[in-house]
Amino acid sequence: MNATKVVIIPCSGIGKTYGTVSREAAYEVIEDLRPGETQLVALSMLVLGDEQACKVVTENPSVTVDGCKLACATKMVAESGGVVAADFAVLDVYRRNRQFKPKGIAELNEGGQKLAHALAEEILAVVDDLTARDSSSEDDSATKKPEAGK
Amino acid sequence: MTAYLETTVDKFIFRVATDRNYCSEGLWTKAEGNLVRIGLTDFWQQRNGDVAFAEIEPVGTTLTVGDVISTIETIKVDIELTSPVNGNIVEINPEMEDNPELINQDPYGDGWLAVIEVADWAAEQAKLLDSQAYFMLMKGQAEKEARER
Repeated sequence: MNATKVVIIPCSGIGKTYGTVSREAAYEVIEDLRPGETQLVALSMLVLGDEQACKVVTENPSVTVDGCKLACATKMVAESGGVVAADFAVLDVYRRNRQFKPKGIAELNEGGQKLAHALAEEILAVVDDLTARDSSSEDDSATKKPEAGK
Repeated sequence: MTAYLETTVDKFIFRVATDRNYCSEGLWTKAEGNLVRIGLTDFWQQRNGDVAFAEIEPVGTTLTVGDVISTIETIKVDIELTSPVNGNIVEINPEMEDNPELINQDPYGDGWLAVIEVADWAAEQAKLLDSQAYFMLMKGQAEKEARER
């Protein structure tokens, strides 16, 4: 069992299509793809300085998903004392997937849903890399322990 | 070094370069002899948001005022830009294909769109706004939008 979880912090932009894409992608990873290895922290909790939210981001690697160039999620994790292991910008992902034009706010169109899925796949690759590294370091320490006891 | 007119509306700061002319839609023109470089204003880029894609008509295209010269897709809108001058496109910004965000980052510099060769710059310029006139127009639009928000 891994000691840490990858924390995902999406954009909190309400009423913004790209913000919705960021959240849908985060939900897909957290709820469907890697529920055991990931955890969501709401950006608003970091903005409010919530102790528990800040503790989670300082004790675990974070993946931020920003809806615009203001990059609030990335900035807030850094300000909260966390380490951003990877940061995604929805616009960059859209540039790589132009066929998925996102529209809609409360409910994304088909293009938006597909874009969110493409983004989720990119996040997933990072999550798997981070959790593999974590497992690897745990294995290393497990094999080293007996040696240390010699 | 380029000088700017600057105004703050709400929490936004908008700049207008003083060394060029403008059309009311938010394109700037800067003449170098009969070659006119065009781009988008700071107000335009802030109002329309991060640029996702910028497509520009190819070199060799003949334009009359009002013809579409570029289609810009931002995170908020898709906009067809029309040419502010008559002439032929002789150069397009090669960075626009891979780095259209330059429009947001440096609208009066590296974010330029195209160079158009015109037959009579003086005649073209007479139909455009000078920086002070555009500044007042832009300021009015920005204040109106701030009131409506």
